Amino acid sequence: MTETPVVLALSDVQYIWPGSERGLGPIQADIPQGRWVGLIGPNGAGKSTLLKLIAAYLTPNAGRITIQGQSIRTLSPAARARLMAFVPQTLDTSFDLTVQEVVELGRLNQLSWRERLGFSGRGDAAHIEHVMAMTGVSHLAARPFTTLSGGEAKRALLAAALIQDAPLLLLDEPTAHLDPGHALRFLELIGEMVKSGTTVLMAHHDLATVGLYTDTLWVLHEGQIAAQGPSGEILHSDIVPRIYDAPLVAIDHPRTQRPLIIFP
Amino acid sequence: MRREAGVPIRFLGAVVLLAITLVVGVMHGPTPIPLGTILHQLVQPNRSITSTIIWDIRLPDVLTAALVGGALAVAGAVMQALLKNPLADPYIVGASSGASLGATLAQEFMPYAGLMAPGAFVGALAAVFVSYLLSRGRGTSSMLTLILAGYAIGIILSSVTTFLMLINQQSLSTIFAWEVGGIDGTNWSQVAISFGLILLAMAVIWPLVPDMNALLLGEEQAHHMGVPVRRVQAVLLAAASLLTAAAVYLSGLIGFVGLVIPHIVRRINGPNHRTLLPLSFLVGAAFLSLANTLAQSLPVIGPVPVGLVTAFLGGPYFLYLLVQHNRRRQQGGMS
Repeated sequence: MTETPVVLALSDVQYIWPGSERGLGPIQADIPQGRWVGLIGPNGAGKSTLLKLIAAYLTPNAGRITIQGQSIRTLSPAARARLMAFVPQTLDTSFDLTVQEVVELGRLNQLSWRERLGFSGRGDAAHIEHVMAMTGVSHLAARPFTTLSGGEAKRALLAAALIQDAPLLLLDEPTAHLDPGHALRFLELIGEMVKSGTTVLMAHHDLATVGLYTDTLWVLHEGQIAAQGPSGEILHSDIVPRIYDAPLVAIDHPRTQRPLIIFP
Repeated sequence: MRREAGVPIRFLGAVVLLAITLVVGVMHGPTPIPLGTILHQLVQPNRSITSTIIWDIRLPDVLTAALVGGALAVAGAVMQALLKNPLADPYIVGASSGASLGATLAQEFMPYAGLMAPGAFVGALAAVFVSYLLSRGRGTSSMLTLILAGYAIGIILSSVTTFLMLINQQSLSTIFAWEVGGIDGTNWSQVAISFGLILLAMAVIWPLVPDMNALLLGEEQAHHMGVPVRRVQAVLLAAASLLTAAAVYLSGLIGFVGLVIPHIVRRINGPNHRTLLPLSFLVGAAFLSLANTLAQSLPVIGPVPVGLVTAFLGGPYFLYLLVQHNRRRQQGGMS
């Protein structure tokens, strides 16, 4: 039996918030290829911080983070962007680049010198078109990014991230501010990516969603991974009511038999 | 797609505009020279007085105005992207006060060496460099720190300049005239030096255009997309300061071009730097050569420094932008 290769590995990762005693870790965790991992935990547990550490936007005080066996510290920013893409929760900009221009920035880490100098047109036009069609933003191509609705902006940012063609996708609250229809279509799209081999780590507040979609859960509580394991087991265990300090109940989805967390 | 379709037309318009303002600039002056004579002298210069006026007086001044306008406009566009603020200008991080102090020191201590321009050049670069060093450190808000450091450095340097001017009032009017910013009597070697510096800065900026576009989405998003954020910021800041210093070297402190021109061009063209930067250069060059021609030939008042004209035109426009920016903020939109 061959083991699935590990895509993301964290060993003894520790981080202290500047100017405070509090911190994160030590964290020990990894994700095999093609898995969809949900990162849950109450507000202030450190979910966004952990994502930023993995994305190398913050530097851990100790420990090591590797992607496909390569330490993210030793990689150039461009090489790192080829290994992982990040879809932020929101993006605030006061410059109105068009959706097409924003999506094309996903290719920034792959630009040749000729392209950097503006001598050759955009390579990969077909790929960009394909991704924009897949994420449903083709008709928005000429629209200024600042005029998009929350759902449209999210899909445009996902398109930019998918253009990066990275094996690891980091999502920070991907369906926050999306209506149920847009949220469902967004998650189905991520599901397609996972099926085709992309590994996904998704910080999320909506426990119903993580129960339905993710394979594995990391439960972050007070800067520590309090539990990790198959989503079904975790959601049925008593850890969820404990860390959220609320008598939440797990029931099984009538059709999929996946666990659903509901209010008591 | 509307935006992209208009790009060739915009470039054509900007080039034609610049060509017209350059020609008008050479034609216009105490002795008007007809267009035919200019074209003839450009192709076949001779030893006539007209040829001398065109080649040694008018052309260096007109080209200087164009170079200064273009350089300031590009420097402004770069600073606006770096600071993620569409209302930033090339002098925002201390370049102007550094230039003033440099020019004042040169004038006070070596008044006969004529080193005001080189002094200003060095002063502008040094002030930005010090602001940058002070703002460096861990943390993600370094660009905001840079603005604040630049502001503080500006105040300190200005007070030193004022002190020097007070203790040696003889040089007061020379320095004051320089600070207003004027283009008068430049020679070919000055034009050549500045042209070289501007070309160098442009060559540094041009390959970083995609990174500048990514920086418009914020430092964090640019990082995720693979931009070496800190390094790109440092290089762009150095290049923009070089452009500013080269402009200051030629003309003293000319305000508002660097703020207003990229802003106007961005409104028409959108913020993609691949087209924004060259268009800003062309429009900035055209604007300042026109403003300079105007400044040379104001009715009744006579010639005034071009810095006065740009301030007179640009100041109210800046106020208008500010009011509009605020109004749109309040309506929940963004500029």
